[in-house]
Amino acid sequence: MEPTRTTRREFLRSAGAGFGAVALSAMLEREGLADAPEAGVANPLAAHGSHFTGTAKNVIFLFMSGGPSHVDLFDYKADLIRLGGRPIPDSFGEFKTRRKVAKNNLLPPLRPFHRHGQSGIEVSEWLPNIAGCVDDICLLRGCHGDSVTHPESVYLMNTGSILMGRASLGSWSAYGLGSESENMPAFVVMPDPDGWVKGGAPAWGNGYLPATYQGTILRGGATPILNLNNPRGVSAAQQLETVNLINQLNRNGLRQGEQDSPLAARIAAYELAYRMQSHAREVVDVSRESPATRRLYGMDEAVTEDFGRRCLMARRMVERGVRFVQLYCGDTLGWDGHSKMDSNHSELCARSDLPVAGLLKDLKSRGLLDSTLVIWGGEFGRMPMSEGADGRDHNPHGFCMWMAGGGVKGGQVIGATDAVGLRAVEDKTHVHDIHATILHLLGFDHTRLTYRHHGREDRLTDVFGRVITRAIA
Amino acid sequence: MKTLLIIFAALLVHDTVASDHWAFQPVRRPEVPVVAGLVSEANPIDAFILRQLGEAGMGFAPEATAERLIRRMALDLIGLPPKPDEVEVFVKAFSSDPERACSALIDRLLESPHYGERWGRHWLDVARFAETDGFEHDAVRPHAWRYRDYVIRSYNDDKPYDRFICEQVAGDVLWPDEPQARIATGFNLLGPDMVDSADQEQRRLNRLTDMTDTTALAFVGLTMGCAKCHDHPFEPITQREYYGLQAFYTPLDFNDAAPVYTPAELSSHKMDLARYESRAEVVALAAFDMEHRPAGRKLSHKAYLKTLSKDEKAARDKLEESARRYKRPELPAALTVSYPSGPWRKTRLLNRGEYSQPREVVPPGFPKIVPGDETRPKDRRDLAAWLTDPGNPLTARVMVNRVWRQHFGRGLVATPSDFGVTSKAPTHPELLDWLASEFVRDGWSLKALHRLILSSKTWRQAVVDSPDRLLYRGWLPKRLEGEVIRDSLLEISGRLNPAMYGPGVMPPIPAEVFKGASGWSPSKDSADHGRRSIYIFARRNLRFPFLEVFDAPDSNLSCSARQESTTAPQSLTLLNAADVVEAARQVAESLPKNTIVASAYRRILGRDPSAEEADLAERFLQRSPAKELCRALFNLNEFVYAY
Repeated sequence: MEPTRTTRREFLRSAGAGFGAVALSAMLEREGLADAPEAGVANPLAAHGSHFTGTAKNVIFLFMSGGPSHVDLFDYKADLIRLGGRPIPDSFGEFKTRRKVAKNNLLPPLRPFHRHGQSGIEVSEWLPNIAGCVDDICLLRGCHGDSVTHPESVYLMNTGSILMGRASLGSWSAYGLGSESENMPAFVVMPDPDGWVKGGAPAWGNGYLPATYQGTILRGGATPILNLNNPRGVSAAQQLETVNLINQLNRNGLRQGEQDSPLAARIAAYELAYRMQSHAREVVDVSRESPATRRLYGMDEAVTEDFGRRCLMARRMVERGVRFVQLYCGDTLGWDGHSKMDSNHSELCARSDLPVAGLLKDLKSRGLLDSTLVIWGGEFGRMPMSEGADGRDHNPHGFCMWMAGGGVKGGQVIGATDAVGLRAVEDKTHVHDIHATILHLLGFDHTRLTYRHHGREDRLTDVFGRVITRAIA
Repeated sequence: MKTLLIIFAALLVHDTVASDHWAFQPVRRPEVPVVAGLVSEANPIDAFILRQLGEAGMGFAPEATAERLIRRMALDLIGLPPKPDEVEVFVKAFSSDPERACSALIDRLLESPHYGERWGRHWLDVARFAETDGFEHDAVRPHAWRYRDYVIRSYNDDKPYDRFICEQVAGDVLWPDEPQARIATGFNLLGPDMVDSADQEQRRLNRLTDMTDTTALAFVGLTMGCAKCHDHPFEPITQREYYGLQAFYTPLDFNDAAPVYTPAELSSHKMDLARYESRAEVVALAAFDMEHRPAGRKLSHKAYLKTLSKDEKAARDKLEESARRYKRPELPAALTVSYPSGPWRKTRLLNRGEYSQPREVVPPGFPKIVPGDETRPKDRRDLAAWLTDPGNPLTARVMVNRVWRQHFGRGLVATPSDFGVTSKAPTHPELLDWLASEFVRDGWSLKALHRLILSSKTWRQAVVDSPDRLLYRGWLPKRLEGEVIRDSLLEISGRLNPAMYGPGVMPPIPAEVFKGASGWSPSKDSADHGRRSIYIFARRNLRFPFLEVFDAPDSNLSCSARQESTTAPQSLTLLNAADVVEAARQVAESLPKNTIVASAYRRILGRDPSAEEADLAERFLQRSPAKELCRALFNLNEFVYAY
């Protein structure tokens, strides 16, 4: 096919979506060449199209790496204070722990809680700024998962399975939605600069979905994306010359009667790459923001500068059409307070509380919160009893997460743990339910967003998941 | 009532659909069709393909040019582009006798040790090969590379495919004295493993599940996974049959470092050890320990060190430091499975796949969909025999389809690891059966199969204006894997280190990728940075970026067909990555000044430029250096696709 001027322009425009994927799929379909190696049905690269109109267009997932303590942050338990210093009553039965802490004495919350906002939701003194936003927050106090270890729980929270090899939530979202952005990937990840989450890159991997949908790591600074910069010693003018030669020769190749769609799509990918070189740098350049905005995110204080910068970059990406942004707060150990919980959580709360609140306020004041779903949570919570003198072990049996914006009904609490915060007992929400709800807010029926793999229509929620309908406004 | 309906439906699936499904029928060798326009001694593949083309009113496209053919064949069989002088020789030979020239070329490429490095990689995808555990610690499996080498050797030796299967399934019991056969059983342990799981029973079950599922996918194209929790909803596989297959593996010991050596290796090890132990520095350390180690007491090394005074400790440290110049020789070890010396564990059917809900004991057994021996299987020898029985309708069909897919970029069956009831029917069922039967008749020889396919007109067609994908009219350019692209860059710029085998190497990766990650320390010997990509250390939690961007699989699950995505990050990589920039610089430096354009085309694309291309390039060179021209050529479709 000889691309005419018009179709080429159309084609280039669509090339932005899904990082060139949609371009490819459109071309493939036009040529009748659609091939799904594993699927044998539809083209795997085609953006799916939502099942209904979603309330959220974008997602920002603030991942608190290491497992923040729900009983010290969002889940107030009077009985934990009352029973503090004694072992958990036998009536609670047996439960799995990571470090054999079941018989240890209960450890009261490390900070007092207060009611906030019109909703009167209790939040700990550790998070004064997020507390100021509770009326926008839907707090899930009955969350639970499947494993007491980090990597399994990180994979579960990100891919819906404690095993390796499945596609991540961000990849599924990108697969479903494609990208709105002409110049940016659909799914961007900003790891903590001090270290990756336990379990590493598979947490944002594409699993068996096409590579197009994997999380692209983006950093601040001069090289936000791998290989974004021109080679050393190559000027911008030279780069343009060279890219032009490439495209001209590739186009000539097509004219010689060897036109095949992926080959044409490669031309679009070069033009996209060239545009990305300037756009990605622009996205991460927060110096263009007003001093007031930067202050809102805490960029003027050393302790909040890093996470504030990344939260602000997340907002800039959402504005520019990135569908799914995941930020990690906490290095490889992160919130993993097996000992010295007080100093561990003090530091991480100080680093993240103001920036997270700043992000919510900024999104709201710009009218972006309605269409942007913000999620806060780690891979699990922590045990009500102590580990050693001053720590807490992992707790996947009951913990908190929260969602705000994107069509979520704020100022409410859904679910509850038992008297001391050990297990979710009321209106429990499993990780699969949270995934189902996120996909629902994006406009997808989680049972129908599938990809054929090893003979089966695989999905993020496997055979599980229920939408948390009460969370939706 | 609902339950009854479900049972009824399940019975229907088992009795009707299964017995009718094409892939479960025995392979019957069809007559090769007689097609007008083909001589009777023509390649049978062409007869089958041309018959269907003819029915659609089409014929073959013309043959590709000699330059294209040699490049296509070399990339396909050894994963490296031909050198300019090889192209020249071939083009000359082709012009006088195309058949002979091609046949000699195919033979030469199949004899190249690079063949195993290229085709072994395809199998490593299916085998989910990696060299770390994954999960949190992603710990190194120091002996996993021996399985990779085993695969490369097997391909290079043209090991019969049935033997290749038997070794991987049951090498330890079938050939207990052959180290290679025991190394082969490492296949079963290649998946991810949560070593420090809080639940070790669950961990073991996860590994058994992984090996059961992978065995079924890899060798017979059955997707059994669903039947772990309940009878398979689409395939005629019951939950009991699933656990019957798993029962072959349940009793096994999983060995991370089993000694695997030949008598020759043992005697050379003894010599190495003697040489090591006679080194003056090593002797001095041993003498020191002999003198200072308290006699008559059993002490751990750590406890012994504690008995030393500060001065003694310092003296010993010094001796140890000198002795460390020599590495203590070790016997080869590998990942293997084996039967325990004690009693064997039994397999129980697990309700909903949960080990906390065990039901009745299930003996080893084969899925009934495939007609097999009625005798009761006992151990993996029987499983291996069942898999490689020429009467097994799946094994040969699945493998010839995998090979066909690698040669053409698409399979006769679209889903290489799924030949089940819901898979798509083959586009050329008789050809598939003929190839399967021929494959077995040729002693399961993969090299014979390659020769057969590459000798066909079908494979040698040129790229044309109006190809037909499903009927195989014309050649469709095939995207090269990241490994082939990277290896080509190394080869063309004269930096390829052809050393084979051995522990994985770590070429440097960009600092920004590495930031925050761990477990990558570039190989000290920079010659290792130019090794072929198959030798790059395969870390689960940090894939080599150049390969990852070109769709290298994540190695956590068996991968039968790599994605072929086209993305902007690929363009950024080929434009800006250090590997490409360096290759362009090196090639440019070696180009003769008076024929820069023509030489660059020959070196990088294996052909002369057209007049128009030469003109464009010459004009480009008026403002840009030669290395920029080379960089541009490395970015052409023609470089990353096999035409």
